[in-house]
Amino acid sequence: MNWGTKMAEDDMKLDQLFAQARQARPELPDDLAVRILTDAETVRLDRMKPADPPRSVWARLLDGIGGWQSMGGLVAASAAGVWIGFAAPDFLPDPATIIFPQDTSFVVADLGLDTTFLEDAE
Amino acid sequence: MEDLTSPLQDVRGAECAADTTDDALLRQFAGGDAAAARQLTDRLGPRCFSVAMRMLGNRAEAEDVTQDAMMRLWQMAPKWVPGQAKVSTWLYRVTLNLCVDLQRKKRPDCLDDVPEPEDEDLSATERLQEAARKDALQSALSQLPDRQRQAVILRHIEELPNPEIARIMGISTEAVESLTARGKRALAAILAGRQDELGYEDG
Repeated sequence: MNWGTKMAEDDMKLDQLFAQARQARPELPDDLAVRILTDAETVRLDRMKPADPPRSVWARLLDGIGGWQSMGGLVAASAAGVWIGFAAPDFLPDPATIIFPQDTSFVVADLGLDTTFLEDAE
Repeated sequence: MEDLTSPLQDVRGAECAADTTDDALLRQFAGGDAAAARQLTDRLGPRCFSVAMRMLGNRAEAEDVTQDAMMRLWQMAPKWVPGQAKVSTWLYRVTLNLCVDLQRKKRPDCLDDVPEPEDEDLSATERLQEAARKDALQSALSQLPDRQRQAVILRHIEELPNPEIARIMGISTEAVESLTARGKRALAAILAGRQDELGYEDG
């Protein structure tokens, strides 16, 4: 058999296989069709949901700091700070005297330094 | 315009209005029409599944790829520009890409049987030879390089015209012709090594 005849014969056999494959093309399985349509319905319903209304600046700011719960903590901490400012407990130095010292020896003594040099000066 | 009389058309698609294009159905689906999804599934689902089966040779994987490709179709629907391309061309391309991605992820696997209807008139020996021939084509196809396999499947099993295959694969019509010719030669060579096993007589 010559080369050309062999090629033509191979082609014919191949075409026969292709024809068989075309006849045996698989149908879409029913359960797969159901899954595909379920996906389509999910996408369709999702798309039909109304869009969220635009949110106010305050609502977005509140979200930014962690919502109402963290806002509660923030208010409590602020209130405690204000209270300590007005009526500091005994174990804390009075913030007013730290900022505006009236008696230097008191402040120096508080620091636990040697004050003999001050007495010498007097 | 789609050829709705094509043998590729699933029988369930027969109820579709013949003058409704895939384009129009996709637009209807994007507008909230659930019935359009059913018609698109009937028209395009079998093609997508058929190509995936031939590309992968594995039913479970072909089903996953088909579902994934159709999901992308539903999600893409609102962005579709009518008249720019055929929906089926887009879907074939997505399906082929998903198949290639899947094959790259896994090692070469054994091939599952392609489901074929049995012919009652064949003898047991003929039936075995018939099954072997079908497996032989699938096995030979799986040995082709990706692009040759895609071109051969689209041309000789899906029977698409070369210009559409060119659009699907993003190459020129000449490149499609070259790929299918080389693919056929390679298939013939692969199959020639199995002639005795397949019951073909050598003239």
